[in-house]
Amino acid sequence: MSGNNHYRVANTRREMLRDCANGFGGLALAFFGSAEAAQLPHFAAKAKSVIFLYMDGGPSQIDTFDPKPLLEKEHGQPIKMKVPATQFNDVGTVMKSPWQFKQHGQSGAWVSELFPNVAGCVDDLCFIRSMVADNSEHTSANYMLHTGFSMQGRPSMGAWTTYGIGSVSQDLPGFVVLNGGLIPAGGMDNFGSGFLPAAYQGMLFRQGDMPIANIKQREASSQLQRDKLDLLGKLNKGVVARLGSTSELDAAINNYELAYRMQSAVPELTEISKESPTTLAMYGINEKETEVFGRECLLARRLVERGVRFVECLAPRVSGADRWDQHRNIFKGHTDNCKATDKPIAGLLKDLKSRGLLDETLVVWGGEFGRTPMAQVSGGQFGRDHNPFGFTMWMAGGGIKPGLTYGATDEYGYFAVENKVHIHDWHATILHLLGLDHKRLTFRYSGRDMRLTDVHGEVVKAILK
Amino acid sequence: MPAFLFPLLLAFAVTPEQAEFFEKKVRPVLAAKCYDCHGPNVSKPMGGLRLSSKADTAKGGDSGPVIGTSIETSRLIRAISYQDPTLLMPPRGKLSDAEITDLTAWVKMGAPDPRVDLPSPSPTVITKSIDYERARKWWSFRPFKVPSNTPASGYIDAFLLNKLHAKGLQYAPPADRRTLIRRLSLDLTGLPPSPEQVALFLNDRAPNAYLRLVDRMLASPHYGERWARHWLDLVRFAETDGHEFDVEKPNAWRYRDYVIRAFNDDLPYDQFVKEQIAGDLLPNARTEAPQGTAMHFLGEVINTPVDPLQSHADRVDNQIDVFGKTFLGLTLGCARCHDHKFDPVPTSDYYALAGTFYSTRRRQTMVNSPLEKAAMQSVVNAAALRIGEPVPSGPAEELPKGYRLFEDFNDPAMPGWSSTGFAFHKATSGGIVDSTRLHAALEGQLISDEVKLVERFVHVRLRGSGLVRLLVDEYNNKDRVLSGDPGKGFVWKKFDVRMGQGSFAYFVLEDTDPLGGIAVDRIVFSENPEPPDHRDPGPAISYRTGDVQLPPGAYALTGWDNNPHNAQINIRGNPTNLGTIVPRGFLSVFAGTDQPVPIGSGRLELSETLFITAKPLLARVMVNRIWKHHFGNGLVPTTDNFGLSGDRPSHPELLDTLAQRFVEGGWSIKKLHREILLSRAYQMASTQNPIAETADPDNKLLHRFPIRRLEVEALRDSMLAVTKSLDHQLYGPSILPWLSPFMDGDPRSKPKPGPIDGLNRRSIYINVRRNYISDMFQTFDYPQPIATIGRRNVSTVASQALYIMNGEFVAVLARRWATQTASMPGTIAERISGMYQEAFGRSPTDEEIRLGVNFIQTHNQGWSDYAQVLLSATELAYVR
Repeated sequence: MSGNNHYRVANTRREMLRDCANGFGGLALAFFGSAEAAQLPHFAAKAKSVIFLYMDGGPSQIDTFDPKPLLEKEHGQPIKMKVPATQFNDVGTVMKSPWQFKQHGQSGAWVSELFPNVAGCVDDLCFIRSMVADNSEHTSANYMLHTGFSMQGRPSMGAWTTYGIGSVSQDLPGFVVLNGGLIPAGGMDNFGSGFLPAAYQGMLFRQGDMPIANIKQREASSQLQRDKLDLLGKLNKGVVARLGSTSELDAAINNYELAYRMQSAVPELTEISKESPTTLAMYGINEKETEVFGRECLLARRLVERGVRFVECLAPRVSGADRWDQHRNIFKGHTDNCKATDKPIAGLLKDLKSRGLLDETLVVWGGEFGRTPMAQVSGGQFGRDHNPFGFTMWMAGGGIKPGLTYGATDEYGYFAVENKVHIHDWHATILHLLGLDHKRLTFRYSGRDMRLTDVHGEVVKAILK
Repeated sequence: MPAFLFPLLLAFAVTPEQAEFFEKKVRPVLAAKCYDCHGPNVSKPMGGLRLSSKADTAKGGDSGPVIGTSIETSRLIRAISYQDPTLLMPPRGKLSDAEITDLTAWVKMGAPDPRVDLPSPSPTVITKSIDYERARKWWSFRPFKVPSNTPASGYIDAFLLNKLHAKGLQYAPPADRRTLIRRLSLDLTGLPPSPEQVALFLNDRAPNAYLRLVDRMLASPHYGERWARHWLDLVRFAETDGHEFDVEKPNAWRYRDYVIRAFNDDLPYDQFVKEQIAGDLLPNARTEAPQGTAMHFLGEVINTPVDPLQSHADRVDNQIDVFGKTFLGLTLGCARCHDHKFDPVPTSDYYALAGTFYSTRRRQTMVNSPLEKAAMQSVVNAAALRIGEPVPSGPAEELPKGYRLFEDFNDPAMPGWSSTGFAFHKATSGGIVDSTRLHAALEGQLISDEVKLVERFVHVRLRGSGLVRLLVDEYNNKDRVLSGDPGKGFVWKKFDVRMGQGSFAYFVLEDTDPLGGIAVDRIVFSENPEPPDHRDPGPAISYRTGDVQLPPGAYALTGWDNNPHNAQINIRGNPTNLGTIVPRGFLSVFAGTDQPVPIGSGRLELSETLFITAKPLLARVMVNRIWKHHFGNGLVPTTDNFGLSGDRPSHPELLDTLAQRFVEGGWSIKKLHREILLSRAYQMASTQNPIAETADPDNKLLHRFPIRRLEVEALRDSMLAVTKSLDHQLYGPSILPWLSPFMDGDPRSKPKPGPIDGLNRRSIYINVRRNYISDMFQTFDYPQPIATIGRRNVSTVASQALYIMNGEFVAVLARRWATQTASMPGTIAERISGMYQEAFGRSPTDEEIRLGVNFIQTHNQGWSDYAQVLLSATELAYVR
């Protein structure tokens, strides 16, 4: 098995391939150091990187991208179908959407007035209105969404991606999670490497100049740190010269130089003042409501430009709302969440497109589940409960057929009834676009060849270019 | 109507009036009052009786028909009328008069039953026929194969060299003494040798100096700390439940101490295994044996699962998975949904084990010393004498309509409750249970059997400062706790269990207060948020205190048998799609297909059967684990998989000889260490030889000693030791992990931050919180506590170098070490020399001194920066 401690003088063919894939050979190692990658892509990739716009908490499909006239008609009436247990099990009558829907673009995709800017990009998007997940509760649903398994401790899809195709960047991690101020239920296990080597875990970047731990040199002067590292290098090399070395030991020694470079690469990444005012405005960085998510989206572009494989943007903290999780007062909560994300998302899509990056970057939008067509009422404020049985996500760029609306829910928007896409299928499709066969991307653990898709998943061919 | 017609009527058509009567008056009573034990979702209905289908109701139970042919002969009527003290149904309380009248009228009608039975669940799992005779010949299952000419000593080297010679290879030359003591010390104790220990060994001119060193190291109490940590990796040790709120597993740290003591005391491995499976049930067991059973309960627990059945099945699955991999090196989890694809484990075997785990629950058990317990018992004895025997109270008071009694404590024997400690001594009951009845100073816990939550509210009439907890689906919600009102007598309090309706739950009454306690009068279920009555609470109690001083109660997480029952096969692993019931037992390939039925959960029988039927496998798996930690790789590289999909042993005769001697040596782990450590293989150098590297590039044949990075615990402990910060104290409650400002996790489960240096305690004492693993651990390949890990990943990533270069912990230690060094007498060179002795157990070379002196002088006495460079050196983190 890979990743465990075995030592060689000579590199194996696989290691050499990996090193070459990373853009350099010999013993110099990328961010992944000595952790072993799986293999080169199984087939030609359509996308080089993924940006996952994670809508933590579960946005409502019937208030955003999946209009349901029946809800208008039966507003206030008991729902006329058998409904399964929901998380809080106190849902009331059918509730119409408080927002108006319109068709947009040449594709005529339906978008509610919540997303005026995204509505301008619909001809680049592919809506999947028939998403299905397994869990009605956030933590398990988040684990399912991120790791394909509804319990703690499995590798995240970003970890599987970097394990599968490595990273192009020499001085940045291959899987970066941008924190907008809200860590999803389930915590860091959503971005963990599980049983894969730790090298593949998502690195959480906070907002601000020092986004990750220990990136700031402690020494008062750069010269002092340089002198220390030079001394360390000489001492280490003196020891291996006397007693012999291994590739792992060489990697550990070189690792300090990589860390040294990262100290400047990361601030260079987050230094956005050189971006043009037009660009900053496009992402909404100069406006209070959109600043946080705008920065996340801009950083996402800068990260994929630098070869980072998988970027996840976490939901921004919106005052007065618990993520997208509006069990009550959906009107305010969804309005504020949309306001905070709409313009930055549209900015990202337009920016990627104008730079020719959208073709090779897969942009994915969605939450861990959707919401019920029935209302939850609390203190006279209306909300909606969790609904994993039918909800909407969209994808764009990186080999996705643009301007398509795929799948459908029933007349209430409750259950997916046409062309169901389970989270496992969604994972299989993402890997496929990255050039990876989800059935062949395996890691031996627990006596089994483990996969992101477990024993499930089918690539949704109909949404591919 | 003539009596003889009754049975016939059961088969005849039911009139619409009869159907309506049944639906309105009978079925609701059966469902509410009887289904918990005789319903569709009970895997093993009590008395073999199910009342949830027409056919089962007509058929009756183990004692025959229940409807009977007349009111007089009907067992059902006899049971519900509460006339026969041996047959009182429902056992938790008599039905209301109206309900009894309705059921009696129904039986009089001839028990017309309009229900249409669905076809009973028939097992659709087809167990392929497994040729067990053939399966038992698999290399890891069969008896040991030790060649007859195997020498009693030196066999390790003989087997290894045999393979090397065949390739024209040799061992590397012997390692020097400095290398040897550093290797041995880190291997056995997880700490580098002190300069004094190094000097002692270097100066020991006796021919058996190395042997004496091995024995000194094995006798060190730090040996247990090091090797217990390897064991904790196998049992996914953690002290919290994970999931959203990451609540505490109270006293889980005692299991960690139990394991450390077991290694230090060289507890025979067979005993160690048996105690962990069934330490609470073993006859003549050690006092601390029950603490081993915490092993089953260290996994993840989900709070408020939407699907409690699935959640329970997942917990049991994790228990089976850890049991199988840890002890047997078998991936039993594969048989949850289908027969194992590779190994001879049918799905029915999985559910035979599942029945055992479903019949085992976790609880807290008082573990005060025998002396302390004797002091508590003497208080009980004196008080019991004074108070005398309790008298059962009169018949239960009638509850208003809409309330269902769970418990009124009218029976002093308290059936359905189990206690630990001394406060809930049996004699305290009788109308109420009162932890202060004998003496307020006594402590303890009273734990109920599990009950299915049907109604939304649970009303508890209670008094006192103690606690009543309600654990739903094993989730220890810290907010789901009731307690009395100060200065008042009995008051009604309630749990709202809306999110837990349909789940299984149990009550824990807790008295940890030496000056007070808890008394409960009744526990009642209802849809009504109002309590059943508004009685005067009565006066508060003032307790006699001060006359007795008792030590505080100490508790441990342990298992116990509760409601032993067999599991039904979950077809395709789906807990709502049930197949045949499987008797509890061990794997058929070892114990056969016809095993005696266990009395309790089956853990006791399991712990015995394991060693009778699967001894060679158990020994091979453990011997391989020990070998792996000494040499970096197992003789079987897949340490947790000895099945058909695992690796084959590189040296089968060597593995078998070691395993056989392990068993013959009384399963002594320390003896096994000695055999391995005294081999020439362990004592050779790590020097490389180009010919050997080409011929044996992965060092599978062991032509040299491997070079390895220390596990994060040993690395951190080394840094503490080298900087003379280490606190050598053993055992005790865990130290909270330090939280770096960058540890962004779910804020709902964020603990209070611990000190940066962990109070200088060894890493094994840092609190393992599923959601907040210490940042250094996370950075250096600490295993996620989800399943058995016999072999950790080792990766080299930039965040590790950043942690050491710029992190707070290393900087703190470097400053301490520099302060000590700067205050020492001597030249710069002499002090540098001292630091080398402390860090690496050797003197620096001339070049190293020159570089060091130059650095100190150039950087204005930069001892702290210099110390940090030495702490960053690969020589500290790698052992050769």
